[in-house]
Amino acid sequence: MQVTETLNEGLKRAYSITISAAELENKVNEKLTEAQPDIEMKGFRKGKVPMALLKKQYGQKLLGESMEEVIDAAMGDHFEKSGDRPAMQPDVKMVDGETWKEGDDVNVEMSYEALPAIPEVDLKSIKLEKLEVKADDASIDEALANLAETAQDFDDRKKGTKSKDGDQITFDFLGRVDGEAFDGGTAEDYPLVLGSNSFIPGFEDQLVGVKAGDEIDVKVTFPAEYQAENLAGKDAVFSCVIKAVKKPVAAKIDDELAKKFGAEDLAGFKTQIGERLEEEYAGAGRAVMKRGLLDALDKLVSFDLPPSLVEAEAGQIAHQLWHEDNPEVEGHDHPEIETTDEHKTLANRRVKLGLLLAELGQKAEVEVTDAEMTQAIMNQARQYPGQEREFFEFVQKNQQMQQQMRAPMFEDKVVDYVFELATVTDKEISKEDLEKAVEALDKE
Amino acid sequence: MSAKANHYDVIRKPLITEKATMASEDGAVVFEVAIDSNKPMIKEAVEALFGVKVKAVNTTITKGKTKRFRGQIGRRKDVKKAYVTLEEGNTIDVSTGL
Repeated sequence: MQVTETLNEGLKRAYSITISAAELENKVNEKLTEAQPDIEMKGFRKGKVPMALLKKQYGQKLLGESMEEVIDAAMGDHFEKSGDRPAMQPDVKMVDGETWKEGDDVNVEMSYEALPAIPEVDLKSIKLEKLEVKADDASIDEALANLAETAQDFDDRKKGTKSKDGDQITFDFLGRVDGEAFDGGTAEDYPLVLGSNSFIPGFEDQLVGVKAGDEIDVKVTFPAEYQAENLAGKDAVFSCVIKAVKKPVAAKIDDELAKKFGAEDLAGFKTQIGERLEEEYAGAGRAVMKRGLLDALDKLVSFDLPPSLVEAEAGQIAHQLWHEDNPEVEGHDHPEIETTDEHKTLANRRVKLGLLLAELGQKAEVEVTDAEMTQAIMNQARQYPGQEREFFEFVQKNQQMQQQMRAPMFEDKVVDYVFELATVTDKEISKEDLEKAVEALDKE
Repeated sequence: MSAKANHYDVIRKPLITEKATMASEDGAVVFEVAIDSNKPMIKEAVEALFGVKVKAVNTTITKGKTKRFRGQIGRRKDVKKAYVTLEEGNTIDVSTGL
């Protein structure tokens, strides 16, 4: 086996590998000898088939296999010796692929782009600001008010007031189709919020403007695609007796409300909200800090980037952006998308930081443990209630999916690691400033 | 000697077995031949079809097994095999066919 370098330019490398016919034959023979004891053939006892016959029968098939193996081994050897890491799968092709026949030497051209050597980064020189926001009373109260609104109560309206959209009415009803009562068409003291669309279309509209004590007939037509087939598309009459009309009232902020949300009393509920808010702020602060770190790293180091990676990334960015601009196209059967310089700069940054973080992680031996992985999968699985098991199994079988989940976790851990090393100063800012910082992130 | 049509009728197929491989070490080839052929016919056919010189021909008849099919007794056909020893310097590649 002979390896000669034919191109060494920037990060591009090309080699020609020559494998002699004898080497290849050795490999084939080796394989045959290994398999011989297990081969059964008519006219022979198991394992007694002569080598010559085996070669005639299986030689051709094994030849291709061996060739692949020999070339793979040669490449592996080469990478080990030179210390290069290819950015992508190396491009391999046979020089005389068409005219090659058994007994010839095999000539293979291999070309790839090496991953650049990533310079050491002095992480300690990175200065970061950790934004901290204390949840103040005002924002706690605001959050509380928001919560209260969602937990609205209903109060009786004055007697004789007509109902309006958004009101809750309590009423009895008896539904008939063709004069016959049907299953599920009757109820007593049913509380219905007008405009909530919990009944079939048209029903609630007709109850706007009623008073407590009214008795009215509501005539509606069941929609054609109603789930109960015997009712779909039929006309129905509901005789309703209105018992009460209530208007919506925002829940009062008191111990009662706190209990509704599972807290002991109002004070305890407030601390809970405060904690939750601070967690939220901490998350946002971390995002800002991470961006700061990435910016700093971007400025700090520079090395050659493998163009094929950058191009692939730029293409992907362009593709994604195009889809966001043209949401009506769902498939991928659209014309090629041109990448602009803007995409390329973005891709450059992403590839660079990706490589750098991967390198840092590798050096620091940051690893995503199986336990963490399982945890993450569980968390995701919760988004599919009822199908957790299926999702879990799906992920476990799907390598690509696992990779997809593992990548951001790895990145996070590396970032954490860098945070530890870098000089971090705490800085307390107001909520508004944090919001501004987060907005600035989103803009980019 | 050129090959004639009846030569093809004499030689049915080469036999490739462990025993045949062993025989090949002594320069012999094994064929299944027509049951009504005799040694001179086999010698002539092999010489004509493969273009080799034949030193000797030994034949043997393997009797067919008696088999029962749905209770009825039947008999498989007998097979005549020929061990053809070639003159030195002659070979036949049996696995390639005619």
